[in-house]
Amino acid sequence: MRVLTYLTHRLLFVIPQLLGIILVSFLLVKSVPGDPAVLMLGPTATPAAIASLREALGLDQPLYIQFFIYVKNLLHGDLGTSWQTTRPVLDDLIQRFPATLELVTLSLLVAIGVGVTLGLYAAKRPNGWVARLADLYGLSVGALPDFWFALVLIFVFYTLLGWAPAPLGRLDMIVIPPPSVTGAYTIDTLLAGDLQAFGSALSHLALPVLTLGLLNAGPILKMTQSTMEKMLESDFSRYEVLSGIPQKLVVRHALRNALPSIVTIISVLYGFLIGGAVLVEIVFSWGGAGQYAVQGVLNSDIYPVLGFVLFSAIFSLIVYIVVDLIYVLLDPRISN
Amino acid sequence: MAETSAAPLIAIMDLHVDFPGANESKEVLKGVSLTVQPGEILGLVGESGAGKTTLARSILGVPPTSGRIAAGKVIFEDRNILDLPEPELRKLRGSRLSIVVPNPRAELNPTMTVGKQIAAMARIHLGVDRAEATRLALAILRDVHIPDPRRRMNAYPHELSGGMAQRVVIAMALICDPAFIISDDATSGLDVTVQAQILSLLGGLAADHGSAMLFITRDIGIAAHFCDRVAVMYSGEIMELASRENLFLRPAHPYTLMLLAAFSHSPKLRDAWSVPETGVRQTQKEGCSYSSRCPIAQPVCSERRPPFVEIRPGHFARCHFPVSHE
Repeated sequence: MRVLTYLTHRLLFVIPQLLGIILVSFLLVKSVPGDPAVLMLGPTATPAAIASLREALGLDQPLYIQFFIYVKNLLHGDLGTSWQTTRPVLDDLIQRFPATLELVTLSLLVAIGVGVTLGLYAAKRPNGWVARLADLYGLSVGALPDFWFALVLIFVFYTLLGWAPAPLGRLDMIVIPPPSVTGAYTIDTLLAGDLQAFGSALSHLALPVLTLGLLNAGPILKMTQSTMEKMLESDFSRYEVLSGIPQKLVVRHALRNALPSIVTIISVLYGFLIGGAVLVEIVFSWGGAGQYAVQGVLNSDIYPVLGFVLFSAIFSLIVYIVVDLIYVLLDPRISN
Repeated sequence: MAETSAAPLIAIMDLHVDFPGANESKEVLKGVSLTVQPGEILGLVGESGAGKTTLARSILGVPPTSGRIAAGKVIFEDRNILDLPEPELRKLRGSRLSIVVPNPRAELNPTMTVGKQIAAMARIHLGVDRAEATRLALAILRDVHIPDPRRRMNAYPHELSGGMAQRVVIAMALICDPAFIISDDATSGLDVTVQAQILSLLGGLAADHGSAMLFITRDIGIAAHFCDRVAVMYSGEIMELASRENLFLRPAHPYTLMLLAAFSHSPKLRDAWSVPETGVRQTQKEGCSYSSRCPIAQPVCSERRPPFVEIRPGHFARCHFPVSHE
């Protein structure tokens, strides 16, 4: 019951939060130098043509009117049109956002697997070789650029060893994409029963997921290690040792108490990676939403940018609500 | 060191515990030896910093953080438990040797209900299934007089009062019917009335289960009412060990006298035996560790560590000049 009331409260707040995010993004994007009309018409445009296009696009109106019109359209489900793709932004994003989501989710699972496992072992034996390895790992992956690491992986696994497919997108050229249900190829190919396409999708996901997963395991590892160390040294862990509880259980109980911090950092990473994966998307020609947004910024195509911000903001807000729900379930001290 | 003729239940022999620091290690227990007879309640009285909690935890092989057992043995059931591998020792802790800790709300796991924590002890040490463990937990909660135990089982530690949490910790220490219980300052921080209830509870339960107890306290008055024999501890050493009657009617060590005087109702007595704090407590390298505060200290006291002398049957004092009552 308290879960339902909590959910209702949080969802009510989502609307004003979103409005605030859109307003700030709108102002920021509008302040980036660059005139869309000029870019759209090209270098041979006449001033008259530019002026009339600006009027048609509504760019001559005051900012607050432009914002008002944008929000009004949003409520009708119209996110605007991208002048680069000439398609509605909503359609573009529905096509591209699942690609990024699939990539980021799988990468995060790899990062959690590597980070939590190494962090746990390092905390259990603070002076062992795993702990030292974990320190080194955490330091180095924080310093490595993701596009560089991606290129190294491509060089080793595609060019030299030939194990991975060419970094040209999400599927082999000859494979036909499955009918779109969720937009994630791994799920859709399985739903369609197309095992060849499933294999192709997996093989294309391998290198980008490895890149993002290994590089982003660093913060999760560090958080797990430090929180678990603190938990294992806490009064209640020592009391469990004094009461003769076997070490496996002591560690499990400590982990349960450490979960809120670990879940926090995972949720922050999740939100970050939606946009933060853009360089990896470019290297692997992924056709994801981040790439789409960057193109928008570079070409003063504001509707794709704003649309992307809206999508990722909604996504992040949902993630944070889920995380807060997890907290309420995990920690009995924050219920009422 | 023969104290009684019967074989002790547990014998702590010459326990040295230090805390290795950055520059030098600080020795907290300087060769503590104690025995506890089956069914006996041995009191241990000392001020803060004497090393009582270090002793309590080191007996079970878990000295406080960064502490290290440098030497000594703890003989229980014919073996030195400090030599046992850790998994073996875990089997003994909580089942045959248990501890009641102070400040229970900080020591209980905040994300588990108290019922689950008590039942866990039964499941792990007695090997019973979940249903039986819950039944045992309920029974022991009734024994420690927690009102409405069925509802309290599902409470979290932060939802309980200090007195309730203390009863929970006592329940956890007793559920497996241990042979030896260490009660480390189990009543500090509680209201006086609650203190009295907890004390009578502990005493009754120990008698019912036939367990021996090491009762650690800062309050020599409580030790007077509660314990069969009492040891007085100062700066990591046992200064005096006697039966209750001998300790309170014929105290021999100057420190014991000071403790008794401090609790005394007579201001003249308090003044006569109280020594003002000298500021920084010097760690005595040579001689008796109490000599810097002792009102009857002589030069030899700073030179030679006094031996632990039996001044009458069963009554020992570590002093060059034990007070005579003849």
